Amino acid sequence: MIETQDLTRRFDKLLAVDRVSLSIRDGEAFAFLGPNGAGKTTTVRMLCCLIAASSGKAFIGGLDISDKKDQVKIRGMIGLLPENPGLYESLGAHRNIEFFAKLYGVPISEREERIRSLLKTLNLWERRNEPVGKFSKGMKQKVAIARALVHHPDYLFLDEPTAALDPESAKTVREFLIELKREGVTLFLNTHNLDEAQRVSDRIGVLKTKLLAVGSPDELASRYFGRTSLVQLSELRPEHVASIRSLPYVQDVRTSNGSILIDLDDPKKRNPEIVSLLVEQGAKIEHVEEVKHGLEDIYLKLMGGS
Amino acid sequence: MRFEKTWIIVRKEFSEFRRNKYILYSLVLMPIIMAVVLPIVYLVPTASFATPPADHPLELNIHILAETEHIEFNNTTFANMRFVHCDLRDCIAFRCEFQECNLTYVLVRDSNLTSVTAKSSNVLHCNIWTSTIISSNTQGSLFLGQESQSEYFLKILINSLLMFFILIPSIIPTVIASYSFVGEKLNRSLEPLLATPTTDLELLLGKALAIFIPATLVTWLSLVPTIVIVDVVTSPILGYNILPNYVWLVGVFLVAPLVCILSVLFNVIVSAKVSDVRTSQQIGSIVILPIIAFFMIGLAGFITLNLENMALFGLAVLCLDALVFVLATRAFEREKILVNWK
Repeated sequence: MIETQDLTRRFDKLLAVDRVSLSIRDGEAFAFLGPNGAGKTTTVRMLCCLIAASSGKAFIGGLDISDKKDQVKIRGMIGLLPENPGLYESLGAHRNIEFFAKLYGVPISEREERIRSLLKTLNLWERRNEPVGKFSKGMKQKVAIARALVHHPDYLFLDEPTAALDPESAKTVREFLIELKREGVTLFLNTHNLDEAQRVSDRIGVLKTKLLAVGSPDELASRYFGRTSLVQLSELRPEHVASIRSLPYVQDVRTSNGSILIDLDDPKKRNPEIVSLLVEQGAKIEHVEEVKHGLEDIYLKLMGGS
Repeated sequence: MRFEKTWIIVRKEFSEFRRNKYILYSLVLMPIIMAVVLPIVYLVPTASFATPPADHPLELNIHILAETEHIEFNNTTFANMRFVHCDLRDCIAFRCEFQECNLTYVLVRDSNLTSVTAKSSNVLHCNIWTSTIISSNTQGSLFLGQESQSEYFLKILINSLLMFFILIPSIIPTVIASYSFVGEKLNRSLEPLLATPTTDLELLLGKALAIFIPATLVTWLSLVPTIVIVDVVTSPILGYNILPNYVWLVGVFLVAPLVCILSVLFNVIVSAKVSDVRTSQQIGSIVILPIIAFFMIGLAGFITLNLENMALFGLAVLCLDALVFVLATRAFEREKILVNWK
């Protein structure tokens, strides 16, 4: 479990992270969303024991990030994929990963098999001995991912893992992350990519120095937008709108392009009742659905309102 | 402190060095220049004009006809005389013997000189025992039972060559460290390295040892050709092999590694402040200035490069090492590397 309590970091007068408290279960995929300078990288660096917190506490797998002895243990339990791959460009992919495997103390009996397995999974085995300086950005990122995973970390921190990648490479990386999630690795993802956050993560935290919101995309949508049903009629009449507005659980009714938009508490439960009412009034219904608010709406609303 | 972690870092650094042509050039070319080319350029011209030592005096056929003591002579010509405690100025002397005399602007030929001080004179084809010869021409003369001027000068030159053996382990680290630390900063490869379960000290020692080991080994290996060159060139003049001697052994095997440590640690501090390989090399080279100053003072004759002074120099460098080590460990902390390193 990753747990932070009022985690704060100042750089002289600049407050980079302000009293962030969150709890991430083992095996969960969590994404931090936020603009540049929001404190995402600083938070990850604190959790990876690379920089100290100015105040507050944090625990990784029950170990205290501020305890010097725990720090070495924590670093052995985590994998970090920084924003830049940071590879040794004159060395081959195999040598890059092998170096980290040795530093992480991967037993010699498992080391070679683990490196082979990762490089084959990421389609890099054939080019394992070429200097990584000759690799494309996507290939370098794959090597960096393999490096972060070589010691079977329980917790994987990823800072903008697909930021510099073409769509195909980004898809490969995302699929790999989803596979890791299935294997039970706890993922902590910093990203600007809302679609990626939605696809990969179970829960999302929106950060802008302070933690503005935490929850699953659906929870956040209902928290910040309520829930809405859309009813498409072949012929929209004022009495249909009026009858829907009179229902006790309906909060608001709007019309748009021949459709009725109904804000209510539970679309799944109420939509059949609304359909029955409209059919009784002779309305011809073409289509009924719950309107989903995307992560982009939530993000923009939070950023605009912060 | 787990040495196996440090050694893993050392080996990775070696793998990178093998692929960096600038580091390889510095490891190969610098010793060739310092340990082979410069000794040849430095010694051969001096040695070719040096007077060789003599075991037997010249046979001069002197027949003493008169002897004089405690008298001053000016503008006089002598032959077959013995002078004891005399002062001669602007004189000419043939087949004479001088004991504890002062000669100024004197032409002396086919004579024996014992404990004489000769200034601005021509002392030609003479036997000279334990005398002081200043600004004089000694063509054809033999220095007996004492060090000749050329021997004395050669020894100073040979001792000053030791400077190059202190410079090799101080310059090589400026080249390697600039690629090792600044290169890692430019590649942004420090962050994943810092996220591994290693301590700051293990990382610092790993990177420092990776520079120290090749720089020191190259210095030690370079000693072999220099010893050969120096002995081949100077043994005909000196009459014996001057190298290796204790001053050189202390200098190369004790002082040179201490200077290397100083250079490595100093360059760690410099690397923390700069983000450009060339700037790092230029600032890092400052470390050679006190070394050059020490040897220049020696060459100028203000201090003698003997065992005692080399040991004192080594002790001073050791103290500097301790100070710079504390500063380097402070500069090489995870947080400072990530937050403050430019």
